Amino acid sequence: MEPADVELRNTTYRRFVELGRAPSAPEIAAAMGIAVEDVRAGWRRLHDGHALVLDGDGNIRMAAPFSAIPTAFKVEAAGRSWYANCAWDAFGIGAALQVDSSFDTECPDCATPIRIAVRDGRPDDDTPVFHVLLPAARWWSDIGFT
Amino acid sequence: MLLFRSEAHVTSWLAGREPGTTISITKLAELAQAWWADRLPPHWRPHTRDQNQAILEELGLTGPFWRLG
Repeated sequence: MEPADVELRNTTYRRFVELGRAPSAPEIAAAMGIAVEDVRAGWRRLHDGHALVLDGDGNIRMAAPFSAIPTAFKVEAAGRSWYANCAWDAFGIGAALQVDSSFDTECPDCATPIRIAVRDGRPDDDTPVFHVLLPAARWWSDIGFT
Repeated sequence: MLLFRSEAHVTSWLAGREPGTTISITKLAELAQAWWADRLPPHWRPHTRDQNQAILEELGLTGPFWRLG
């Protein structure tokens, strides 16, 4: 990965954290002093390298563990909130920020709310279980479904 | 990649479909720490496939199901 793409990726992530939502291409272009077209081209390279995920319009869909769209996993950490892409990522936001966190979801089977607080990396409730439907070799074949 | 109240709820939700793999929430928390903790620092570099596979193996997540593509 080229240094310029690493810088673009890091700026995108930093702004995602700061804004509590996905940054737009013009926002990143302004932050970095580069053209919007260069942001979009760089994002495409990062998408192809699995460093982030774009939607059909070329906007940020995922900067894992962060999700650009509302999901069943809402995470609170450091006084702000984000959506995570899945249960793994719900833990991942606190891990990436290196702070305690909490998240809300619901059991897909019975819709009972589940709220997990994470302190020092450990959940406060050890009764829920995590199910991975697809084997690891297929995770990127449809990352949205995964 | 979903969180269920218990293994019984996973079975109910699958309704006869082929299951994947279920791990404890404590194992998931360990996995998330190992996988995501280095994603925001300025010196970030992408994990290689081998690095990610090593994270899984160190947590005992081995076998064909956990073999990355």
